[in-house]
Amino acid sequence: MQDIHAYLAEFEDIPGTRVYTAKRARQGYHMNQFAMSLMKAENRERWKADERTYLAEWPMSEEQRQSILDRDYNRMLDLGGNIYFLSKVFSTDGLSFAEAVSSMTGMTFPEYRDMMNNGGRSPEGNRSIKGGY
Amino acid sequence: MARITAGVASSHIPLLGVAVDQGKAGDDYFSPIFKGYEWTKEWEKAEKPDVVILVYNDHASAFDMKIIPTFAIGCGERFKPADEGWGPRPAPDVEGHPDLAWHIAQCLILDEFDMTIINEMDVDHGLTVPLSMMFGTPDAWPCKVIPLAVNVVTYPPPSGNRCWALGEAIARAVESFPEDLNVQIWGTGGMSHQLQGPRAGLLNREWDNKFLDLLIGDSDAARHIPHIEYLRETGSEGIEMVMWLIMRGALGKATKCLHRHYHIPCSNTAIGHIVLEPIT
Repeated sequence: MQDIHAYLAEFEDIPGTRVYTAKRARQGYHMNQFAMSLMKAENRERWKADERTYLAEWPMSEEQRQSILDRDYNRMLDLGGNIYFLSKVFSTDGLSFAEAVSSMTGMTFPEYRDMMNNGGRSPEGNRSIKGGY
Repeated sequence: MARITAGVASSHIPLLGVAVDQGKAGDDYFSPIFKGYEWTKEWEKAEKPDVVILVYNDHASAFDMKIIPTFAIGCGERFKPADEGWGPRPAPDVEGHPDLAWHIAQCLILDEFDMTIINEMDVDHGLTVPLSMMFGTPDAWPCKVIPLAVNVVTYPPPSGNRCWALGEAIARAVESFPEDLNVQIWGTGGMSHQLQGPRAGLLNREWDNKFLDLLIGDSDAARHIPHIEYLRETGSEGIEMVMWLIMRGALGKATKCLHRHYHIPCSNTAIGHIVLEPIT
């Protein structure tokens, strides 16, 4: 049987990546369920009319609420968000997947798109923090 | 008797569904992608499968965080395209094959795979995009489809080895179904892509092609690739490739490659597609 502690520890060694572990899934449960609620048109309308009031209905930390209001996707991931659920937030904002993804990379959307069209980000040096390969 | 005659694998990027639905498949960006599926479209017309067992993952459409089944099999009569937040795709409803699906579910459970049985759910781009890529835009899909949803979002997803073994068990189940049916199994998702964090946009042509190589012939090395290798080499969403191993496992000891296609990029993702035949 694989050791769960060793299995999880390795995930911390991947640069620029938050693996959606049980710990994150628990921390971000209400944040992700909030995002899922935007699948319904009537909820989207209420959300757009007053974001802060809508968020107050969900038992989240103030940090989590603020990260959503700021559309700070890296911060949302840190606080337990998962990109597939959070995609309901950026879809409601009218952003494409690629544009929302680019906001996490420190690049502008055109820069990110150029990188993708030129073969994407290389795995070279991006596989391991400790190993540097 | 029913038999598995072929395996197909393909990426299931939502943007491809948009391209099909908006008639953009022939434009400069998309045509190199769609050209790689033309061979398969013609081949499928000749093969005329009765049923496709379609392995895919749901992307926060049918399942939210309330219930997270590791392996779920769709046993319903019919599945509608999901509204993923911008209205359902204008694709045909997916017709199930409840007799075969329930037969497989029962066999798998006796074979010690404790499946979740789903009678009602909508199916998202993970399932409908591969149907569009292989069958184009018909008024009705030309075969029945058994959805097989795998959790590859919340960790840990099933191991590659478990996926391969599930494929082997599915093949045994299909072979014990008394009706004469031509069954294909499709594995979808991948290839390299990462949709989150500062490392987003990672693609790995070399690793993806090595993975495609491993699906051909009599090697079973791919079943032992650990999760951490997918994560490091192919990005956080590259883990979807474990679903291809269910398809490969169902084809038995050895396979022959009939067709293969690889293209970078489509949106954030590397497109991979392969058609395999079991060597008996």
